[in-house]
Amino acid sequence: MNRKIHSYSFLKFIDFRQRVIICALFFMLITSILLSTKIGAFSIDLFEIISKSASPLEEMVLLEIRIPRILLSCFVGASLGLSGASLQGLFRNPLADPGLIGVSAGAALGAALTIVVGSDFTIYTALEKYMIPISAVLGSVCIILLLYVSTMGFSQKGIAYMLLIGIAVNAFATVGIAFLTFISSDLELRSLSFWIMGSFGGSEWITILPGIIIISFAILWMIVSSRELDILQLGESEASRLGVDVKKLKFKVIISSAVIVGVSVSLSGMISFVGLIVPHIVRLLGGVNHNFLLVGSAIAGGILMSVADLGSRTLIQPAEIPIGLITSALGAPIFLWLILRSVRK
Amino acid sequence: MSIIATSTSYGTKKKNILKNVSLEIKHNEIISLVGPNGAGKSTFLQILAGDFEPDSGFIQYDGIPLSKISIQERSFCRSVMSQSQPIIFDFTVRQVIEMGWVERGLSAYVEDFHQAVTKTAKECFVFDLLEDKFSNLSGGEQRRVHFARTLVQLWRPSESQDPRYLILDEPTANLDLFFEREILHLLRTKTNEGFGCLIVLHDLNLAAKFSDKMALLHNGAIVKFGNPKEILSSEILSEIYRLEITISKNPFRINYY
Repeated sequence: MNRKIHSYSFLKFIDFRQRVIICALFFMLITSILLSTKIGAFSIDLFEIISKSASPLEEMVLLEIRIPRILLSCFVGASLGLSGASLQGLFRNPLADPGLIGVSAGAALGAALTIVVGSDFTIYTALEKYMIPISAVLGSVCIILLLYVSTMGFSQKGIAYMLLIGIAVNAFATVGIAFLTFISSDLELRSLSFWIMGSFGGSEWITILPGIIIISFAILWMIVSSRELDILQLGESEASRLGVDVKKLKFKVIISSAVIVGVSVSLSGMISFVGLIVPHIVRLLGGVNHNFLLVGSAIAGGILMSVADLGSRTLIQPAEIPIGLITSALGAPIFLWLILRSVRK
Repeated sequence: MSIIATSTSYGTKKKNILKNVSLEIKHNEIISLVGPNGAGKSTFLQILAGDFEPDSGFIQYDGIPLSKISIQERSFCRSVMSQSQPIIFDFTVRQVIEMGWVERGLSAYVEDFHQAVTKTAKECFVFDLLEDKFSNLSGGEQRRVHFARTLVQLWRPSESQDPRYLILDEPTANLDLFFEREILHLLRTKTNEGFGCLIVLHDLNLAAKFSDKMALLHNGAIVKFGNPKEILSSEILSEIYRLEITISKNPFRINYY
């Protein structure tokens, strides 16, 4: 009975049409990235940069401002899309999203605390740039710990119980944020409300690089569970009879989505709707199996977010529209169209 | 080689669900487990499958205690069909059947993958449904798809002599007369290939006709075990089922209407 066990093989469970869709999405992602580098308050020709004939100012704008911002938007979109898809699979609930288990609210609460309370104790050190991201990650970590303790290591009473705890935690964090908004000064309120609506402005290499590295690892860690998420659709006990360690799977999906959502929220603010809607769009495009869905949602999330950010910084120049408004305005009609199309079929 | 349950007991604070139940499931044998609602059939099945451990007693698979076998190893040697839950997202029938495929990391098995799915789908009469959405199927069709998935889980290359067991909770629920008979015939074929089967059935006539041995469970204890025609009597059945039940011998038939 000592056979070597592979719990995962990717290509077997993903059909030809789905491979084509993934390639097409990837191509769209590259296109949207290239477009975003070119268009902006300051139009830049990529070929000039490559052929070294661009001015130092153009090069600076591209390398130090625009590229980090585009990269961050893609990674945040990918992490929201992916964690939405895997949480919907884990909870077997099409309405689950990263906001629902309270993680983004926890991150927001952490960041809001730093913005409002922390501004009285400003420390002029090298750490200052990391203050908001770190407190946001700490906020989401606290929420995960709370979830972990109250569900006895994610195992007690199944998944519905955890959703209810998540909703309670969410409400608690929302109260915290509302209270902080209430006691904040006008200046704090402005940065708070902008942060709550989300923005990729002010992305710098030094703050986004650690985030991007963490997100990449978590994405890889999550994608390898896609086959197990498929089997989980049969029910928890059925999945365990098919050799899936359900407790480990829950731990893996929840921890990695908490980490990527915590990091994303800490770098860009609260961006709602993407985690809920992107997986549905991808399902309607090509199918519901998680081998396809997780990769597809990551890429589609990246596309949606980079296009939304492009809109956010170019639509009413020189002002910037909060990214959350754009993602909802872009996502909702696409979603509606897809639903109507599938009903007609 | 067999699954052996030795004096397993299980209970909650309020009630003893199983009392000292012992049973052996051998190769090439269909054992049916019958009894009224609440007799403890499903609980026994779950303990046998390894979902939870009994309060006392133990389960052995081919001489190895079940608690010593990892959940992955278990999935290679036994498959379980329970009363199924709905599947939320729109998986196709093919995808649902493929969920039963447990990776074994051996090239001989890997090459069999598509063949296993196609052949089993044909055996269970769901080949024409493979590309349909599972949630659009009727109850009986869904049942057959789940049965196919249960069989795919135990797929082996034809020369394999590995021990394999099927544990089925009412596999014929929602099936019409034709499919009921065909699925039980298929089960007999599989048993002749070396499977050991334990099935829960409610139709006593079906159970008597298709099983080699029958275990009659009542209030958490096995009251009779053996060849159905020998152990069943109208007195015992009438008492357990609280109904007037008669048995005619030739042909063997249990009458309760």
